Amino acid sequence: MGEKKEDKSKVHKLALRGSSKTVAEFFEYSINTILFQRGVYPAEDFSAVKKYGLNMLVSNDDQVKAYIKKIMSQLNRWMVNGKISKLVVVITSKDTGEHVERWQFDVEIFNKPNKSRSTKMAVDKENAAPDEGDGAAPPPPGKTENEIQEEIQAIFRQITASVTFLPVLDGDCTFNVLVYANADSDVPIEWGDSDAKEIKNGEKVQLRSFSTSNHKVDTMVSYRLAD
Amino acid sequence: MAAPSVSTPIKSHHGLFSSKTAGGRMPLTPSPRTRTVSVATNLSTNSSPFTPPRPAQSIHHREPSTQFSRSVSRSVSKFAYQHSPKSNIAKGKQSPRHLDLGISEWTLTGTGPITQTPSRERGRKESAVRSRAGKTTVRIPYNAADRFIPNRMASEGLVNVGSAKQDENSRPKTRNGEGSTVLANAASAFDIGGRGADGDLTAGLENLGLDDDNTTTSYQRPNPDSVAYESSLASACGVSMNTRILAFKPPPPESSKPIDLRSQYNRPLKPANAQSAQFRRRIQTAPERVLDAPGLVDDYYLNLLDWSSGNQVAIGLERNVYVWSAESGTVSSLLETSPETYVSSVKWSGDGAYVGVGLGSGEVQIWDVEEGTKLRSMFGHDARVGVMGWSKHTLSTGARSGLVFNHDVRVAQHKVAELVSHTSEVCGLEWRSDGAQLATGGNDNLVSIWDARSLSAPKFKKTNHRAAVKALSWCPWQLNLLSTGGGSYDKHIHFWNTTTGARVNSIDTGSQVTSLKFSNHYRELVSSSGFPDNSLSIWSYPTLVRNVEIPAHETRVLHSCLSPDGQMLATAAADESLKFWKVFERKAGTSASASREGGVGSKTSQMAKQMTIR
Repeated sequence: MGEKKEDKSKVHKLALRGSSKTVAEFFEYSINTILFQRGVYPAEDFSAVKKYGLNMLVSNDDQVKAYIKKIMSQLNRWMVNGKISKLVVVITSKDTGEHVERWQFDVEIFNKPNKSRSTKMAVDKENAAPDEGDGAAPPPPGKTENEIQEEIQAIFRQITASVTFLPVLDGDCTFNVLVYANADSDVPIEWGDSDAKEIKNGEKVQLRSFSTSNHKVDTMVSYRLAD
Repeated sequence: MAAPSVSTPIKSHHGLFSSKTAGGRMPLTPSPRTRTVSVATNLSTNSSPFTPPRPAQSIHHREPSTQFSRSVSRSVSKFAYQHSPKSNIAKGKQSPRHLDLGISEWTLTGTGPITQTPSRERGRKESAVRSRAGKTTVRIPYNAADRFIPNRMASEGLVNVGSAKQDENSRPKTRNGEGSTVLANAASAFDIGGRGADGDLTAGLENLGLDDDNTTTSYQRPNPDSVAYESSLASACGVSMNTRILAFKPPPPESSKPIDLRSQYNRPLKPANAQSAQFRRRIQTAPERVLDAPGLVDDYYLNLLDWSSGNQVAIGLERNVYVWSAESGTVSSLLETSPETYVSSVKWSGDGAYVGVGLGSGEVQIWDVEEGTKLRSMFGHDARVGVMGWSKHTLSTGARSGLVFNHDVRVAQHKVAELVSHTSEVCGLEWRSDGAQLATGGNDNLVSIWDARSLSAPKFKKTNHRAAVKALSWCPWQLNLLSTGGGSYDKHIHFWNTTTGARVNSIDTGSQVTSLKFSNHYRELVSSSGFPDNSLSIWSYPTLVRNVEIPAHETRVLHSCLSPDGQMLATAAADESLKFWKVFERKAGTSASASREGGVGSKTSQMAKQMTIR
């Protein structure tokens, strides 16, 4: 039994790496898409790239690219270690400082390797002991790359289509990226604790989700209701 | 052709009056020199005018293998953090769970009121390091070099851990600073619990960490009164106490310009000024033909080139006027002036039968081209006549004196009007196509717009240009639109509404504007420039987008004129060449009306057929 378990965890770890990469990549395109669709940066700064069978718009601006790259490099590391439960892109009005739109991506990790209980004291050792029966949803039956891509494609179509119901953003806006990380995550100094930047009395719309062998990502947008 | 293959001798142009044609190059013969060279250069630059050079360098260029955290520690935390053992990452120890356990151990057994404020508690730790006083000897596992920097955010958890073990009743939530509100939540919850009922506490303990996956929707700093309530509420909602919300702290880059989403949603995918290739008109950037123009006087103030409605090109080269037939490619010398003067301007009459020739002496001659005979000479100007313009039987002449005369060429007393407004040489003069208005530009930087019915004073005088105004062009599709281009110190093209006198648009071209021509069938105009570009630019109107810039000549382009069918532009430059450019080419497949879509109705229907030059 114990031996079998170990084997499983090995396989699991390899798959986890690829799955994390898929999810992180999805985040990167999501951030770019949101920045484009919501007009955080001018449309001329974006160029189309073929991805997920769609024309994805990715920023050309060197500064924006570098900024996203910095976020992504850390995000990748956290993803691989399974430290992240949410990624949030918050759009904030520059004039009022009010949070006007909040895109939240919930990450669920199947067979979370460092799933723990409150009774566990040795945090550092958790990684070595994958826990079973912790109540996480069972991994879905194996999906092909194509199926995953189609699911992701559907999300991006939804994000793009959501401009039809999202209120027009007046004035200049800026954005912030939040991450809900496990408390035991390594945190570089460029990342700091924050409040959730929730939208007061916001309307929430759940978009589609996609799942890989190890992750399930839900998408939700909340926005300020028009006055 | 007069001399099909003449080798170009060494250029021996000594002065204005040196006779070039006798010994050397024949005028208006194909130029072996300029032709090969210019074609080659134009080919090589063919692709460039469309695409501006793109900066290849990224701002944050660094090798991909460079680790993010390393770069951070190198750049940001070089001074404050680098030598600290904690570096920029506080590993593990800041876990709230860690903290929870620490607190709970103490709060379960601990009693007594709060004796320490957090700041004093910190001071106490400091004192421990200094071995001054201490209730307990706590092993503090870190070098305390930077421990007391108040703004340290990433390692607040560490302080918590230490403090919780050291002082059982410390309340981390009251620490000032931006510590984790989650931690504060948790700690305060236990704090309350510790002083309250043990049952609450244990309940809280159990709730903690059971629901790892779930997160709270809002982390508010708790009001002490509601902490207990929130704690139970949080557990009821399945709030995780061991998740931190982290924000990427560096501010995002500023947007380069304000954005209106409304326009963005209705926008084509590609930006408007860089139209995609399939919609952009292709413009040939190589000359169709290059002819030699030896002895062309390099003088901005003269107007020595004109193309007739009969498809003949007249060019004044020093003392001669040559006529080059675009139909047959033959060249004939129309006239040669007396040795003491030179040709300063040529202009075809509207029907293409006569050419007016202005001379340096102030004399104006009218020649019948077919017969090759002079019809009459008109005197009156006492300075050179640098510019002329026909309106039916009226020939307007502008002279160095600043005076403009209107001559009725049919009558003996030819001078019918004297237009006084310029104080310096008149170098630009253009009749509107309907003959109702006349625009003149001069070396006094003035643009005068005249009403043909009252020539005693200009209708408008425009002083916006800061250099001589030679380039003038009336818009074919909007009669009251005039464009004017200024000289070296001005470099601007201004657009005027000649009904109201208002300036409606402006372009800064970046170089001397030597001529301007509106296209007859595209909503575009072409400008020729002198120093520094010596180029042709084609502008869309009214968007004022520069569609293409063609490096045209080696020296400044002095004159330009459009072919009667409006497709071809001839340019003469100080490099003594005459070049023909198919800048407003109409596609062969499309009918004349289709290609003029969004363009201009044809005034010259007889020229609708494809014109050829030989």
